[in-house]
This record gives sequence, C-alpha cells and structure tokens, in this order.
Amino acid sequence: MFPRVSAILPLRPLSRFLLCSGGSEAPAAAIVLLGAPHGTVRTKNNAQRYFGTNNVIYSKKDEQSAPTPEISKETESQESVKENTKKDLLGIIKSMKIELSTVNVQTTRPSSRRQLKSVEATIGRLQKAPEGVPKKRTKSLNPELVAAASAVADFLPFDKQTTKSELLRQLQQHEEVSKAQKDGERAKISVSTIISDMKVAKSATSRVSTRPVHQIQFDEGTDNYMGQKTDDLKKSLRKNMLKGKRLNIFDLKAVTEEAPETETAPSLWEVEFAKQLAAVNEQPLQNGFAEMIQWTKDGKLWEFPINNEAGFDDDGSEFHEHVFLDKHLKDFPKQGPIRHFMELVTCGLSKNPYLSVKQKIEHIEWFRNYFNEKQDILKESGIQFN
Amino acid sequence: MAAIATRRWLRFRCKLCLTLAGQRAGPCGQTPSCRFYSGSATVPKVEGANITGIEEVAIPKKKTWDKVAVLQALASTVNRDITAAPYAFQDDPYLIPTSSVESRSFLLAKKSGENAAKFIINSHPKYFQKDIAEPHIPCLMPEYFEPQIEDISEAALRERIKLKKVKASVDMFDQLLQAGTTVSLETSNSLLDLLCYYGDKEPSSDYHFQKSEKSEELEEAAEENDEKSKKADHQFGVTWRAKNNAERIFALMPEKNSHSYCTMIRGMVKHRAPVQALNLYTELLNNRLRADVYTFNALIEATALSVNENMEDKWNNILELLKQMAAQKVKPNLQTFNTILKCLRRFHAFGRLPALQTFREMKAIGIEPSLATYHYIIQLFYHHENPSKGSSLIIYDIMNELTGQKFSPKDPDDDMFFQSAMRACSFLRDLELAYQVHGLLNTGDNWKFIGPDHRRNFYYSRFFSLLCLMEQIDVTLKWYKDLIPSVFFPHSQTLIDLLQALDVANRLEMIPQIWKDSKEYGHISRNDLKEEVLMLMARDQHPPELQVAFADCAADIKSTYESQDARQIAPEWPANCLNYIAVLFLRAGRTQEAWKMLGLFKKHNKIPGNELLNEFMDSAKASSSPAQAIEIVKLASAFSLPVCEGLTQRVMADFAISQEQKEALGNLTSLTSDSDSDSDSNEGK
Repeated sequence: MFPRVSAILPLRPLSRFLLCSGGSEAPAAAIVLLGAPHGTVRTKNNAQRYFGTNNVIYSKKDEQSAPTPEISKETESQESVKENTKKDLLGIIKSMKIELSTVNVQTTRPSSRRQLKSVEATIGRLQKAPEGVPKKRTKSLNPELVAAASAVADFLPFDKQTTKSELLRQLQQHEEVSKAQKDGERAKISVSTIISDMKVAKSATSRVSTRPVHQIQFDEGTDNYMGQKTDDLKKSLRKNMLKGKRLNIFDLKAVTEEAPETETAPSLWEVEFAKQLAAVNEQPLQNGFAEMIQWTKDGKLWEFPINNEAGFDDDGSEFHEHVFLDKHLKDFPKQGPIRHFMELVTCGLSKNPYLSVKQKIEHIEWFRNYFNEKQDILKESGIQFN
Repeated sequence: MAAIATRRWLRFRCKLCLTLAGQRAGPCGQTPSCRFYSGSATVPKVEGANITGIEEVAIPKKKTWDKVAVLQALASTVNRDITAAPYAFQDDPYLIPTSSVESRSFLLAKKSGENAAKFIINSHPKYFQKDIAEPHIPCLMPEYFEPQIEDISEAALRERIKLKKVKASVDMFDQLLQAGTTVSLETSNSLLDLLCYYGDKEPSSDYHFQKSEKSEELEEAAEENDEKSKKADHQFGVTWRAKNNAERIFALMPEKNSHSYCTMIRGMVKHRAPVQALNLYTELLNNRLRADVYTFNALIEATALSVNENMEDKWNNILELLKQMAAQKVKPNLQTFNTILKCLRRFHAFGRLPALQTFREMKAIGIEPSLATYHYIIQLFYHHENPSKGSSLIIYDIMNELTGQKFSPKDPDDDMFFQSAMRACSFLRDLELAYQVHGLLNTGDNWKFIGPDHRRNFYYSRFFSLLCLMEQIDVTLKWYKDLIPSVFFPHSQTLIDLLQALDVANRLEMIPQIWKDSKEYGHISRNDLKEEVLMLMARDQHPPELQVAFADCAADIKSTYESQDARQIAPEWPANCLNYIAVLFLRAGRTQEAWKMLGLFKKHNKIPGNELLNEFMDSAKASSSPAQAIEIVKLASAFSLPVCEGLTQRVMADFAISQEQKEALGNLTSLTSDSDSDSDSNEGK
C-alpha cells in the first residue's frame, strides 16, 4: 500500500480540489475509512462519505507527503538486513581488479542484480575504451609483437606508418578485450558461487543498453554510453517516416470539413466491402464460450440473461416508465376518493411485470373514460370529477 | 449502479407516500392511511440525509450491456491450453489433426459439410418446412433464393436484383424494355451495380471459403511476378468483355447520373479493363458529372494497371488524379491512400519516396492509417531487398508508431501486416523487433489480424526460426512448448532449425523428444529432417545412457524406412542414414542390429564410411572376436575401399588369429591391391 500512495503523491496537489476525481484515490479513502468513527458516517449515503471525509483524506496525505524520504529510507532499512548479507559479495566485487583508470564504477544503491549489471557494463566499457587511451596501451604490448608488426608493415606496399599503427591497434584491442573478458569471467564465477540461486543472464550484455542507465552512476557523464550512442546513431541515420515532404495535394481543412451527407441505401459495392471487412478478422473460435457467443449472434442459442429485464422486450421502454405512472394521473382530481383509488391502481400497475407500458396507460385511460361516463352518479354522491 | 437506481426509486416512493399521506389526512380520515404510515416511519431520516448531498450526486448514465456481455466475460477467462490442439480442432480424438496438412483438410471438411447441408436445404426448401425449434430459429430454416414475383414488372426486376440473379435480371430488363415500360433510374443503377460487381457473370454462391483461397493465390502470384499474375488473373477471375450486358444496358439507359458512370468505372477496373475505365472517366467529365471517392480509388488502380507506360508517367498520372480530386472537393479516404500504396509496391525502389510522401500526406490530413497501409510500406521497403545491400530501417519507425495500439478492420488487406512485419524481422535478423511485433499481435484483439491458417503458420514459423537462431535455448524451448502444437504445427524446416539450435547450445539429449514430436506432426517421411536428427546423434560420443536413448530413436527412424518399404516404393535409404544408424547401434552396444545394418548396405548398394568400419573394428576388438574383424575386412574389400588395407593391418596387429584366417586376409588384401580399379571382379567373389 505505501509505495502506491507515495507514487500518487506528486500528482495530488493538482487534483486536490477536484471532487471524486477518480478511482486512484480509492485506496487512500479506504485507509481513512478504516480509521474514521463508523457510527457517524453510516447513515449517510456513499457519495457523501467521500465528500465528508475528503479533507481528512487529503490532510492525511499531506502528512504522508512530507516524510516521503523517510518512507523510502525505511524501505531501505528493511532491505538493510539483506544488504548485510550482500556486503561480502560487494566486497568481492570491489576487490575485483578493474584496470581502467578512466572509469570508476560507483554503485550508490547496492543491490546484487545491479552489481552484476555494473560488472557487465564495465566490461562493455572496457571493450569500448581503446580509442580513449592509446598511449598507455602501446607500452603494454609485447615489444616482439611490435617488431613483427613493423616488419609486416615494411613488407606491404602501402603507407608503412599507417599500416603499422593499424596492426598495432588491432593487437591492442585483442589484448584489451581478452584481458577484460578474463577479469569479467573471474568475477562472474566468484559471484555465482556465492549466490547460487541467482541467475546470471549471459545475454544481458546486449540488452543492458536498453535498460535504464541511471541505476549505475559513472564518474564521467553517462551520455557517451555505448548503447545509447548506437541508438542515437540509428535514429539520426534513419529518415523519419513522419517528417519530410508530403504530396501537398489535399488541404486539411477541406478534408475535415463536413460535407452534407446524402442518405442513400448502401449499394452492392458497399455491402460487399463491408462483408470483406468483416471477414478480415474472422478467426477460428478460441473456446466454448466464444462458440456460444457465435451461436447467440446467429440466433441459435437462448440469450444468456444479463440483467433482470432479460427476455422482456417492451418496445425499448425503460424501467422508470413501468414504475412511475403518476404522470398519467394529471387529469384526475388532486384529492378525494377517486384520486385515492387511482393511486392504488397505479401502485398495482407499477408492480405488474406482465403488462407493457402501453397496456398500463390504456388501463388508466379506461378508468378515466369510466369515471367520465359516470359523471352524474359521482355528482349525486357529491364527488368532484373535473 | 443498480443500487443507486434502487435508492433513487425508493426515495421517490417515499416522497410519494409522504405527499399522499399529507393529502389524505383531511377528507378520508385515518383508517386507510395507516397502511402507508406503517411503512414510512423511517422515511424522514432518510429524506433528511438526502437533502445535503442531493445536489452533488451525479447519477451515472445507464450502462447498456451487450446481450452477450456475460458470455464475453466468461470467454475472457479461458486461456489457451498449450497442451492441446486449438479449440476449433477439438473433435473425436481420432479426427483431431496433428499436422498442418491434416488441420487444413479438417477445416475444409467441416466447412464443406456445412456448405453441402446449406446447399441441400436451400435447393429443396419444400422438404425442410417442419419447424422443430421453439422458439423459432430463423437461421435454421431454408432461405428462398427463387424469385417469387412471376409477372413482368419493375418490382420483379428489383427482386431478381436483390437475389443476385444476374441473368434473370438482365432478361427481365429486356422484357420490360420490349414491353415499352421504362425502368426507373434507381432500379437500372442497381442493376448496373449487380452487373459491374460480378462482371456480368452469375456470382458463385456463398462459398466464402473457396473464394478467399482463390483470391489469396492471386495475391501471391501478383507478389511474385507481375506478368505471370496477369496471366493467372485472366485464368481465374472474370474479365470485362467489350459489349457485355453492362455496357449494353448502360448504353440503353435514357438518362444516366454520376452513379451509373461510377459503377461502370468501378466494374471495369475490378475486372481489369483499365483503359475503358479511364475513357469512361473522360466521358463522365464531358457530361459535367462528378465522380465519387470510390471511383477515384478505382481510377488510381486503373492508372497503375495500364500497360504501356513507365513508372514515372504512372506516378504522375496518379498525382494528376489526386489533384482532380482536390479540385472537385472529393474527400479522399483510407482506401484512396491504401490503393496508391498498393500500386506503388509494383514500382519497387522507385516507389519508396512517393510512398513516404503519400503516407505523410494521409497523416497530415488526419486519415488514420490501417494495418494494410503499413503492410504495403513494409513490402515496398523489404520485399525485393537484397540482404547484402544495406537495408532500410523504416520498420523500426513503424513499430514505434504502432506499439500498444489496438486495431479494428478497415481494409481487406489488414490481415497481411503481421506476416510481412515478421518477414522483415527475420530478414533483419532482429529478435528484439520480432518480440515487439509479437507484443503488438498480443495487444487487445489484434491477434485476430493474423489472417487465415497459412499466414499464421508463416508468421509463427518465421518467429520461431528467429528464436532458434538468436535466443537462448531455454527460452526457445519455452516458446516451443508454448506455441507448438496449440498455435501452429511446425514445418520440417522449423524443426531442423530447432535441432540446430539444440546443437549450438549443446543440448543434444533433447533430440529423441524432438523426433517424437516431429513424428506426431507428420514429418515421418522428411528425409532432410531424419538425416539431421541422425547426424546430430551420431556425430559425437556421448555417455552410455544417452547412447541408449539415441539408439532407440535410431531404431525408430529405421523402422520408418522399413514400414514404408511394405506399403509403397521405398524412398532410397540414404548412405548417410545407414552409417549413422549403424554407428548409433554400435555405440549403444546393440551389436547384432548394427551387423544387420551392415547387411543393408549390401542390399541397397551403398558404401559404408571409413569411420563406421573403424568403429566396427573397435567393437570387434572389444568383444575380441577375430571372426567379426575378418568379416569387416571382407566387407571393406568387397566394396574395394581404400581403408581395407589399414583394417587388415589392424586385424593382424590387434587380434590373435589363426593361420587360415591370416591367409584369407592375405588373399583379400592382395585382391584389392591388385584390382583397385576393377571392382566388378571383387563383387563377384
């Protein structure tokens, strides 16, 4: 519950004065209701409950909004137990020799998975690094190799210096990569022996690039991160589908303008096109219920009731037309025995599920005519009828 | 909602009671009203509570539910059973299909049964009059397709048009004309509609199944080769003949409105007479009538179909038509742009820039593209692409655009999108993208756009091949379990891909299981698959338990060759397979069977491999049986193999053999060395 509430918090001030703004506050309201005294609220209807307690909800929320950092700290401290167990693991990873001066990996919020990722990320960077620090590398190469490379360069008819440097760079890369991978492997092995139940996703290196990078903070800026770079490159190379020249034949205004549609019966072309369209997403039925739906639509199956009015077809008249029949009593006297009688009649009719609205109105009509015919008798007995 | 409604109602009732009670108190006295009061003792309180809140209550609109809402809710709770065939195939266990061919014939059989029953009922309605169902079920009763009005009148003509009786309608029209009655414009237009839609041919009755098949074949042919497709079109479809009934009636009509022209133009384009259509369009303009958007769509198609022009001219003509549309204030619709894109597909590389411009145009004027739109663009950019050249990245744009959207059918080609998108994925070898496409397929009801059976199979085999190629084996196997057989039945190539993936990931122990599956999916006679299975099993040595399992599997495969022998002319035993099976038997210690395999080599005139003979020698040595060893040498010499000599030496060195055997060996080797080239004499011995 807590993380959810705090997740809503930033949005809250905006919607504070909106009443009943949506379902998202339901959990919060539920919390408050638990705490609130039940007796007072009970007699009010549902909607009022929300209004009545709104202030409480929000004040509560304000309280919560202030100590958000604490909450997150709390969750962190809950994790601290786990963290302790992870600490030795951390130590191992830290003691890992990452021989790269330019990048310091700093894991701010240690969690084992991220560390693994950071290890992998370092590997990625190690592999990428060579362009960055070429001077140091030349030293690390075996002098024999350098000699051999220059010999090869002499042999080739091209520019000797470039050939040599190219060869050397290639060699450096090989060495660098293999070294880095060796380190990485060592780390992985040691890690995986400690946490045996954790899955080390081998293929993750390729996908790390798509995952959020901010979890790992590098001393340098993260903007030249490899994955992003290639993505950006791709994006810039790609011609955007939506941007660019268009035909410029049609005018937006002219097209959106509503032309007076002449109502004509659909021609054969339209009917057949509609049939084609319907066939486009026709798929074999997925289950028995789908088949029952099909049968219902075909009319082969009794319609499954979806409300209390199932199978009750009264020319689309609504429930209230059946129940509230008072409006048909306008022509009757406002008081007196006839009024009383007619109210009883409408009361009875409103409870009668077997008559249609039309029949009910006819029934009332009948009484009006009846009393009209008996005007003289009514007069004799001193009863007013209009 | 219901609760609120009830409360409202109650409140109303209470108010009613109160007013009634108040009125009655005067003239009628207490007696009758006490009934009301008894129930309304609590009323005032409720009323009071309502007063404060009554302004704010927003009463929700009445929600109307679909009549199948409950069933839909229930249906959404049922997930796909990954261990079973799709629901549509569930039947008597004997009939449940287990391969793609069987599933196809299953569906065809089911559908044709329905069609046959319908045909009988509709052609003999008088025998099916008894209405058994109560309440009456209209769709089970025969439909009347015979015209009921006998006399010659316009009503009779209208009835015949409605029943889609092409010939009868034309006859009726002629009779009316002879009788001197003029047919109203509306009726003659609908007659023209009928004639133009069906190309002056009787419509094939409602056998959707076969019809769709045919159009698909056409489509595929069109994709493959334009010229070929034209021929195919002429064979399959109905072509527009000059002076057909439509043209004749059109000429006879005393007055024509734009609808008459439009339907004629559409009919001509539909039945591949683009030149006539364009001519008729000029005639329409000369008569100062206006074409509707559908006609323009047809005309665009006609422009693209016309033969003697190059692509640039065609494109300019299309643009010209669009300008005319804009000038005549005809609003383009989705079909307009889809038709343009569909036509641009034929222009290959030339069509790309215009296609993008067209796409932007439709976006700019606010017409939402359908799946078919994207399908055409993908086809244009990837279909004729050569993998060696750099390929377009437009599909990434498209997928970014589409991800998370839900679609409704808007174009008849909407169901082609997923297939072509997956084709592009497998072309680009991009698994990430394939997952994205698959995600889109599983958004909402989008899965319904996967199209008919063969397209689904295509989509999933491409997807699965990509998985085999790029994904970790565990994940691939998960997908294998998930998709097969509940979604599709794999091709043999799909299974070979899976085998190769297993090989790469060093999970060969799965092979017997895969073989069992492929047997179930009807690939029992696929030689390439069987060879792949055997090759992977026989290539390396494995731990003994695994060897036993492999040998069982090999025996199973062997039996498939033999059972075929009995029924029909056997496909040739490939030499490789014989080798592999023999090796597998040997390694599992089933020596006798292995020796029988050696016999098969002779019988089928195949040559055993050197390694196989060496392995036999090893096993002979293991069982220290010189007789067997000599037998191997004999066999080798019978085939006059160069390895023979080496084998002889091994026998000499490794086995304790008698003098006679030595001599025999000596003979064998001398023979082979003497007559290396002359193998016939060896065979005689």
